[in-house]
Amino acid sequence: MAFRVQFENNNEIGVFSKLTNSYCLVGIGGSENFYSVFQGELAETIPVIHASLAGCRIIGRMSVGNKHGLLVPSSTFDTELQHLRNSLPDKVKLQRIEERLSALGNVIACNDYVALVHPDIDRETEEIIADTLQVEVFRQTIANNVLVGSYSVLSNRGALVHPNTSLSDQQELSTLLQLPLAAGTVNRGSTAVAAGMVVNDWCAFTGMDTTSTELTVIESIFRLNDANPSAIASTMRATLIESMT
Amino acid sequence: MSLYNFKKIAVVPTAKDFIDIMLSRTQRRTPTVIHKHYKISRIRSFYMRKVKYSQQNFFDRLSQILTEFPKLDDVHPFYADLMNVLYDKDHYKLALGQLNTAKQLIVNVSRDYLRLLKYGDSLYRCKQLKRAALGRMATIMKRQGANLTYLEQVRQHLARLPSIDPYTRTIIICGFPNVGKSSFINKITRADVEVQPYAFTTKSLYVGHTDYKYLRWQVIDTPGILDHSLEERNVIEMQAVTALAHLRACVLYVLDLSEQCGHLLDEQVKLFESIKPLFANKPLIVVANKTDIVKLEELTPERRALLKELEEDPEIPLLEMSTVTDYGVMEVKSQACEKLLSYRVNQKMRTKKVDGILNRLHVALPEARDDKIRPPCIPESVLLKKQQTAEKRKRKLERDIELEEGDDYMLDLKKHYVEIPEDERYDIVPEIWEGHNIADYIDPEIFDKLEELEKEEELRDASGMYVAPKIELDETLKEIKALAIKIREKKFILKDEARINKQSTKPKLPRTAAAKGRNRSVTRLRTQMSELGVDMSDTAGAHFTRTKSRGRSAGPVAKRMKMDATDPRSASKNRSVSRTPRNELGVRDAVMQRKAHKLAHLAISKKVKKYGLKGEADRFIGNKMPKHLFTGKRGIGKTDRR
Repeated sequence: MAFRVQFENNNEIGVFSKLTNSYCLVGIGGSENFYSVFQGELAETIPVIHASLAGCRIIGRMSVGNKHGLLVPSSTFDTELQHLRNSLPDKVKLQRIEERLSALGNVIACNDYVALVHPDIDRETEEIIADTLQVEVFRQTIANNVLVGSYSVLSNRGALVHPNTSLSDQQELSTLLQLPLAAGTVNRGSTAVAAGMVVNDWCAFTGMDTTSTELTVIESIFRLNDANPSAIASTMRATLIESMT
Repeated sequence: MSLYNFKKIAVVPTAKDFIDIMLSRTQRRTPTVIHKHYKISRIRSFYMRKVKYSQQNFFDRLSQILTEFPKLDDVHPFYADLMNVLYDKDHYKLALGQLNTAKQLIVNVSRDYLRLLKYGDSLYRCKQLKRAALGRMATIMKRQGANLTYLEQVRQHLARLPSIDPYTRTIIICGFPNVGKSSFINKITRADVEVQPYAFTTKSLYVGHTDYKYLRWQVIDTPGILDHSLEERNVIEMQAVTALAHLRACVLYVLDLSEQCGHLLDEQVKLFESIKPLFANKPLIVVANKTDIVKLEELTPERRALLKELEEDPEIPLLEMSTVTDYGVMEVKSQACEKLLSYRVNQKMRTKKVDGILNRLHVALPEARDDKIRPPCIPESVLLKKQQTAEKRKRKLERDIELEEGDDYMLDLKKHYVEIPEDERYDIVPEIWEGHNIADYIDPEIFDKLEELEKEEELRDASGMYVAPKIELDETLKEIKALAIKIREKKFILKDEARINKQSTKPKLPRTAAAKGRNRSVTRLRTQMSELGVDMSDTAGAHFTRTKSRGRSAGPVAKRMKMDATDPRSASKNRSVSRTPRNELGVRDAVMQRKAHKLAHLAISKKVKKYGLKGEADRFIGNKMPKHLFTGKRGIGKTDRR
């Protein structure tokens, strides 16, 4: 299932939340509307945790994580770390890392098996990622953008990347990730796909501006309903051409 | 949103209003005080400013009108043609052109008079020049009166045109009048187009929107078209033709198989053939409507033969539909959308536009690079929940039960009670009122008892127990009775009349103490005394006769009236004989005078009662400070002199 949500009139919900298969982090906002959307949908299955990192609520862009672990930047306060440790399930490893590129969410994209990272990231960090998150790490760019975390969204069932990714790049990325992959947008044409949505293996949340066509692409590539990813190229082809030109 | 929105054109005033607006604006926005002893340069510039300002105003307003109205050469050919049909292109262009000329003329007038004003040598001359300038500007505008009213009408009509986007996905419905075009648009969109059983109910284009495949589709309902040449077509038909000619859309040609529209099937087919050029290069679907009356298979062979050519054409699908029973409506819609979609996609594929998005129409599938399996990680609970929701849909709903039982269905409120065992749910609950069980107070034999009593009564009634004895009336009693009735009626009428004739509903001032009458006088004393036997014969000079009289103030000796002693008629000379007294002025005769007097008296007595005055002479001031005497400009003067 895919849901449209808004964080205090802001559609970039991937900035204020982090969704994985074993936990969900939500930024602390002025009201609980945003939190409660996640709570209502997920709380029975996985913990939905209020969080802040270094006093900021842009936790989606500052942290990276998957089923196995969570990485937070060095600027995270001790109290915040304590809070996260207390709220996360025991089997999730929590690690604070010293990295120059501290917006980890923007420089790292990962699912439970693979991670794409910024080409300039530290070798040490790369090792920590591989150990903590238990993933294969690849240094990559997406559509000539080094911020792989901002321009791609991964789950274990599919991947959505920046709309300008060329066909050959798509094929290469797909083979690296071992996932079906499509290029697309969220929030009525926003290219920063990771900022506009969060996804795990069974549900997705997107910004309120997302059009129905975008939502259908998301649902089919991440297999959130019964649709197959190949539907994008077959049944939805005409609709996509009509809506994009 | 659509490119064309004509709702924002400002109102075009009539020539008279236009002039009034401009002149009053000049008056309000420029200085108004000037004196002739001012320096001449100041006077000149004062009037030059006025002329220049009004010229600028005229110019701005006219330019605004000229820019706001759409240029026929710039708008989409569909709108250009539609406006030609509705408002006549020549007339429209002429009106705008003439306004443009008027604008130039006003500029020229202002230039000429400004030049003249430079040589104005007195306040009077300058003022006359200014007057002449503004007058000529006003005259120029007055001549544009017809154009302005025409443009205002055009503006009002334009604002009510539906906002049709000529570039978007469009479905146009056309056909003979009364074949069911509007019913179809009402079925598939939320446009509420009027549907009536007579021809030409739809007199203009209507737009609705519908959804199909995550896209928005514009549906246009056109007025009916008759089969005659283009020259003979009227404005209503021409709108439909314009839409068909200029919009790249999917066309639905609606046929009426039942011929209830008043046109035979062969006429409808003929029209189709004659307007076929308009459908060139467009996806086209022929829709046979009203199948609830006649189905395609039920047509007679001759009729069917008419449609043969249509049916055999592989390019043009013939679909059956009934807007009454909803049969085939959705198929028509989806087929039309599908056809147009593939047509548009094909067109787009030929252009370079699609090259930019080709990468987004592709799903990259991975090539295996190792043997590792990467299964998704979905918790059991999520899968379980999914399964449950799927099962919930299978649950037997109340509606299913209703359909099953048909007319025997009764809503069972007690079925879903919780915490009450199944066998106790339908138990009757005792009714308690103020702590008493009502059932305790019900006598089970009450109806038998009642029946018994009624029987007894019947017997009594039959034996004549309740027959009232008749009283015989003799003559006098009858008379009294009749009189009493009369009196009662009269009283009632009098009461009613008094109520109706009551002149004033206002309360009267109560006069509890009546004025005392005079009861002491010398004559009365004399009579009373003499009656009692007192001799009153020589009391002429007695002291009681000397009543205290009111003293006369000793003022100056009054002047004698001037009288001409020589004239014998002197007594009446100081007053003209011909002069009637004021209370007789304008009075026709004695009857009228009496009436007037009565009315005047009534008015006075009313006032007297209302304010508790003693009489006419009692001074009364209704409004001590009448506004009209105490307001106004005073300037430097006194408050009481204006």
